[in-house]
Amino acid sequence: MSYRKFLKKMNRKEQSQDLEKDDPKSIDTSLTENLNIIKEKTGNSPDIIIRIISFGHDPKVRTAIIYADGLVDNPTINEYLVESMENNVQEKLHGKDPFTILSEKVVALGSVKTAKDWDSLFQSLLSGDTVILMDGKNEALIGSTKGGERRSIEQPDSEVSIRGSKEGFTESIATNISLVRRIINNPNLWVEPMNLGKQTKTDVSIMYINGIADNDTVEEVRHRLRRVNLDSILDSGYIEQVIEDESIGLFPTIIHTERPDAAAGNLLEGRIAIFVNGSPNALIVPAVMIQFFQTPEDYYMRFPISTFIRQLRVLMYLISLIGPALYVAITTYHQEMIPTGLLIIIASQTDSVPFPAIVEALIMEVTFEILREAGLRMPNKISSTISIVGALVIGQGAIQAGIVSPAMVIVVSVTAIASLATPSYDIAISARLIRFAFMLSAAIAGFYGIILGLIMLTVHLVSLRSFGVPYISPLAPFEPGNIKDTILRAPLWALNERPKFLSAKNRVRQGKNQRPQVPMSQGMVRADTKEGDKNEF
Amino acid sequence: MNFKWIISCFMIICLTLLSGCWSSKELTDLGIISAYALDKNEDGEYVGTFQIINPMNVPGSLQGGASGQRPAVTTFTETGVNPTELSNRASRKISRDLYYSHTSLLVISEELARDEGLSAILDSMERALEFRATAKVVITRGIKAGDFIKVLTGIDQIPAENVLKTLDSTEKLYGENINTNLQEFIQSLTSTGKEPLVSGFSLLGDMEKGKTMEQLHSTDFDAILEANGLAVFKEGKLVNWLDGEKARGTMWGLNRIHETPVSIDWENHKKAIAYRVIRQKTDVSAQMKDGKPAISITIRAEGDLRTVAVPVDVTDPHVLLAIEKALGQEIKKEVEAAVQEAKENKTDVFGFGEKLHQSEPDVWKKLEQEWQDVSFPELDVDITVEAFIRRTGVRNNPYLFDLEKKSD
Repeated sequence: MSYRKFLKKMNRKEQSQDLEKDDPKSIDTSLTENLNIIKEKTGNSPDIIIRIISFGHDPKVRTAIIYADGLVDNPTINEYLVESMENNVQEKLHGKDPFTILSEKVVALGSVKTAKDWDSLFQSLLSGDTVILMDGKNEALIGSTKGGERRSIEQPDSEVSIRGSKEGFTESIATNISLVRRIINNPNLWVEPMNLGKQTKTDVSIMYINGIADNDTVEEVRHRLRRVNLDSILDSGYIEQVIEDESIGLFPTIIHTERPDAAAGNLLEGRIAIFVNGSPNALIVPAVMIQFFQTPEDYYMRFPISTFIRQLRVLMYLISLIGPALYVAITTYHQEMIPTGLLIIIASQTDSVPFPAIVEALIMEVTFEILREAGLRMPNKISSTISIVGALVIGQGAIQAGIVSPAMVIVVSVTAIASLATPSYDIAISARLIRFAFMLSAAIAGFYGIILGLIMLTVHLVSLRSFGVPYISPLAPFEPGNIKDTILRAPLWALNERPKFLSAKNRVRQGKNQRPQVPMSQGMVRADTKEGDKNEF
Repeated sequence: MNFKWIISCFMIICLTLLSGCWSSKELTDLGIISAYALDKNEDGEYVGTFQIINPMNVPGSLQGGASGQRPAVTTFTETGVNPTELSNRASRKISRDLYYSHTSLLVISEELARDEGLSAILDSMERALEFRATAKVVITRGIKAGDFIKVLTGIDQIPAENVLKTLDSTEKLYGENINTNLQEFIQSLTSTGKEPLVSGFSLLGDMEKGKTMEQLHSTDFDAILEANGLAVFKEGKLVNWLDGEKARGTMWGLNRIHETPVSIDWENHKKAIAYRVIRQKTDVSAQMKDGKPAISITIRAEGDLRTVAVPVDVTDPHVLLAIEKALGQEIKKEVEAAVQEAKENKTDVFGFGEKLHQSEPDVWKKLEQEWQDVSFPELDVDITVEAFIRRTGVRNNPYLFDLEKKSD
């Protein structure tokens, strides 16, 4: 296809650009020279702080501490680096290598490494480490002093929880990884770091549980991440768009979560998490469609309730998909399907409306989309205005003006609420767009059109893959063993196996007989409790 | 490659758009017909009357409108050589498409049913896509069908609805009328072993006043629609009316009684004890007796005593047994009268022929041709009635009984 060829051409161009870059120069022995290079390379930026200290005595050695202001933890530098070096000024250096002394005895930091080339030096410097250069040494000592101001761990905004953990991921990748590690205390939880983005050099990590995650899938994730050659990665959304299977369609094939417990649960099923520094959303692959209707809390509640709620969510999704379309189809093609009493009521309402049902529906839907977008983007302080104006415009004004009928307002509101109640924003937003297509097909061909649309939608969904996993598994291909955790949620003690489509090898999740074993009722009275004890009623 | 794709997409879009909203109808283009009446005029043409709902004027519909001030329905009358012609000709007078899907009442005048029969006209109802087979059929007595649906009604302001509900409730509570829909009617009509029954309706009061809104502004309506009798059909034509006890006896025989009062005389007091049937079961079976077909009807009724206007000790089981027996006799009398009437009319409204067909198909084949005229009138019908008193209401002995004891 010509499109592919075009892409290949683009790739080749980019690679040739890479080659034009200068080779990394190694660090010079002269401190002055080195400092000049740093100043020159960073354009004398004031946040790159260079502090020169004389180290040791007899002979004194000029050393420079270099760090990026704001990215480092200032107390650490002051206490364990600067103070420590000044206190050790009495150290006699003759004969010994001052650099070794410095790294072994003086620098009191957790992690210390050395760098010889400028590239890794700058990488460390700009990610918050402190670089120590010594005169006469063509090596740099790099101490880990990452810190600075970051958002603290807060409750996630987009995935609210009632029962479960209230912690949410932050923008810091280290914090995020640690949050998951606190849940899964297992050495098999492996993290693979990567550095992506030509300009931003963003930290990206793959996390999976060795032995549970499918090796081929892990390799596929690695492979897809390695070919990422973007200029910048500002959010996990950048990664998502270049590694997903189907980037043109409307359905998300990668799920993202703000909750460590959700991430942990997915890892334990054999999925792979991708963390991106600067994004509070961890990407989770492979994703199947039914996951978008599940929340971590489903597993914390009693199973009949979660089952009901899951089915309710699917119903809500269907309503948000075809709600207005059904109304349009019924009122323009299938009036015989409405009970006579209701038909009279609807007819009396639409008698004064000058538009056909489809136009009415489009007016209301577009108005609602505008309101929703406005409500999302506007500053908090004036958001009450929009709700008043919105309620008046949609609710009352439109009806009183005779532009839309009250029945249509009800349909649109129910659809809107159903759409907002879908747990995953990604899947809800897909319905928002498809809804318009359904409305048009309903206006053209009634129920027949809706059914055609649903068939096309099903065909599309079945054709989707997420990292090799069919998008609507375990429903198609049907996997009887995994049906327990779809729109149903079997009791926890019955969920003995991991999803087959994720981890074919290590499938047993838990021991058998996890169902509570309760003694017979007469045995409830323990042997040591006598008559008259509190067990007696 | 791309060009092909674009062309095929374009063709698919054209395909959907060119077909263009075929059969789409906005609600504002529909004249929802609630009742449809058929008469015949002197010229031999059909006269159809459409009762069309004015959604804006139906009480309960929201916003503005004139609910309650103007009639909830409007009627139009049109003539035509057949119902199809008539329906389409009516578009000269009616601003909207006639929409039959919600027509729940088909009214036919007595003259039309008697003179011409329904066989010819029902075909167009059954054949039409929109007309529902579940629409109820009624026959008007002493009034033109067209005039019948012009009368405004009170509690249910859509007259068709009012008639339907009346029919429903009277069948359930009194049992002298039957609820027949188009499908049932046609089935009985085509069956050789059963003749259809249709409820009659008549008008009490002044028709002209009943058409105006003033009717609704008074507590005592000038014109009231009343369910009245059962029309008996034979070969598609109305042949006879069943009223009162005969009508109810027929309903007993059809197992269509739900609740009904049965009153008996007791110790010289006329109709002093009233019994209300709460449930009943009628079994009709056909067998051969001495080489002749015979029918046995077994009725088991269950109910409460609702009126005991004589001093009688109803706590005494012997007395109750006696009352039960008398009640059984009373019911039996009604059913016998109904069977007798049916035999005289040579119309098997009970469907005995169908029963015989089921149990003795060979015999039926021989008798089928002349069932209504020869075999049915000579049929031996055996009726057994068991009435059972479930309870005597929330009181044991009537206070009359206590009074009598006091005076003793």
